[in-house]
Amino acid sequence: MVALHSPYFAGVRLRSIAGIWFRHALVLKHTWLPSITWYFVEPFVALLAIGLGIGALVDDVDGLPYAQFVTPGIIAGSAMFHAIFECSWGAFFRIQKGMYETTMTAPVSTRELAMGDISWAMSRAVITGFCIGTVAAILGWIDTISGVGVLLAAALIGMQFGALGLIFAALSPNVHILSLTFTVVATPLYFFSGAFFPISVLPDWVEPIAWAAPLTPAVHLARGFVTGDLMLTHLFSALYVLAITAVLFPIAAVLLHRRLVK
Amino acid sequence: MNGQSDGNVIRASSISKRFGDVLAVDGVSFEVRRGETYGLLGPNGAGKTTTMRMVSGLSPLTDGELTVAGIDVSRQGREVRNVLGVVTQQDGLDTDLNARDNLITYGFIAGLSRVQAEKRADAVLMYFDLTDKAKEEIDNLSGGMKRRLAIARAFMAKPQVIVLDEPTTGLDPQGRNGVWQELETMKQAGVTVLMSTHYMDEAAALCDRLAIMHHGKILTEGTPDQLVIRHAGSEVAQVRVSNGARQDVVNWIDKAGFDYRESGAVITVSAHNGDRPDLSGLEGVRISYRPSNLEDVFLSMAGRKLTDE
Repeated sequence: MVALHSPYFAGVRLRSIAGIWFRHALVLKHTWLPSITWYFVEPFVALLAIGLGIGALVDDVDGLPYAQFVTPGIIAGSAMFHAIFECSWGAFFRIQKGMYETTMTAPVSTRELAMGDISWAMSRAVITGFCIGTVAAILGWIDTISGVGVLLAAALIGMQFGALGLIFAALSPNVHILSLTFTVVATPLYFFSGAFFPISVLPDWVEPIAWAAPLTPAVHLARGFVTGDLMLTHLFSALYVLAITAVLFPIAAVLLHRRLVK
Repeated sequence: MNGQSDGNVIRASSISKRFGDVLAVDGVSFEVRRGETYGLLGPNGAGKTTTMRMVSGLSPLTDGELTVAGIDVSRQGREVRNVLGVVTQQDGLDTDLNARDNLITYGFIAGLSRVQAEKRADAVLMYFDLTDKAKEEIDNLSGGMKRRLAIARAFMAKPQVIVLDEPTTGLDPQGRNGVWQELETMKQAGVTVLMSTHYMDEAAALCDRLAIMHHGKILTEGTPDQLVIRHAGSEVAQVRVSNGARQDVVNWIDKAGFDYRESGAVITVSAHNGDRPDLSGLEGVRISYRPSNLEDVFLSMAGRKLTDE
């Protein structure tokens, strides 16, 4: 049995994670046509409408034309929605339908289940980022080098919100509670993440709250790659996202264990 | 590695499981020999599923010792699942994938290579007579086919033991028959099976040996024939009574020392000595005899148990 040898990953069976990732990839392979709307059409429409529409009304923001300013924000937002959807809604139904239980009849631990799903959440975040980024690049709103950096940020977002989504999946007794993941968490985070406007324009008392919200540093990081002047704040943002994930992941794994192993 | 040499693949010794205040499994011991089909028979809530989940390493033991193929389940719960093929009560099929891909993904997760998993999936589909359903979406399969596919999935990694939790619960007669046929074929092929069921006829038809469970305990254990003779005798008497005569008849049977149970207008009577009960002294009633079955065993055991409480 192949296992990783750092304490955080002690005893982890890599095949479990690879197997779960493979399962998700196979589902996408079979459903790619309707999935395009999710990965691409919906965020692209948002990008186009906001970039062109609002972009025509406002001047440069933080030294960038508005469309260029908003592109990394839309990518980050789409990355978040994909990750949180996969790991909350998707995982919830895999719990309900006994699919996780089946997976665990193979030698798979709950921690590996969580890691497998989060690895796919990261992949989804990168795939949607790639789709939107490609079109934005064609429109001249992002360049290739910055795009690669934004995808890196998308992967971090996928990891962070994958872990958060699993916490909701493991805690929700029913779909009504589960839907709070979007109405109370994801959507407000999106609008106050700095994706559409700089956090600095918010009233003083809102600003620290907005900065602490998990998506904001990720948007800051993604935009740093677009402006090109990466500073220490961008490093801190990356570390902040990693730190949140490092805290959320063990919680998600424990809650999933409680839900599945009785 | 012990437990291999004496032919016992599963050895459970005084295993218990507590959920809060409820002792779901209460000091159960049994052994499953290589190549046999061993059944846990009992009503819902008897502790069958919990026992099977403990054997599968999916539910930690509260107390007791449990080894599967020499592997200590308490210490290496995950390793146990390398040698077991587990079919949970909920089929747990992946509704986003077709039948064949269900098998392939499971095989890959269980440790086969992609190529091995594909080959094995085709072989298993053929074995379970599901080849023409390979590309079918799960939601389009009948209940019986889903169940067979779930059993097929358990075979993907060539397990030493198959653990089947209520293989035919919720199936229509046709689906049930299909599953029975598969299980019979497995048996002929020498597969070791631990199964649970609350159907007496299923236990009688499929199990080489079985344990009757009630309130988390094993009440009795043996081959279906042994259990019937031991606890219900070769034949039971069925006494049809009118309401007016009922109490007198019951008093008479009670006094004669036979086991009995009342269901509607019929009182079923069994003797302890392995023979059919002698009711020749009972007059004014219609008596018929029929061969005893596991249901008689269960109802007499469970009934006696309930009155003990």
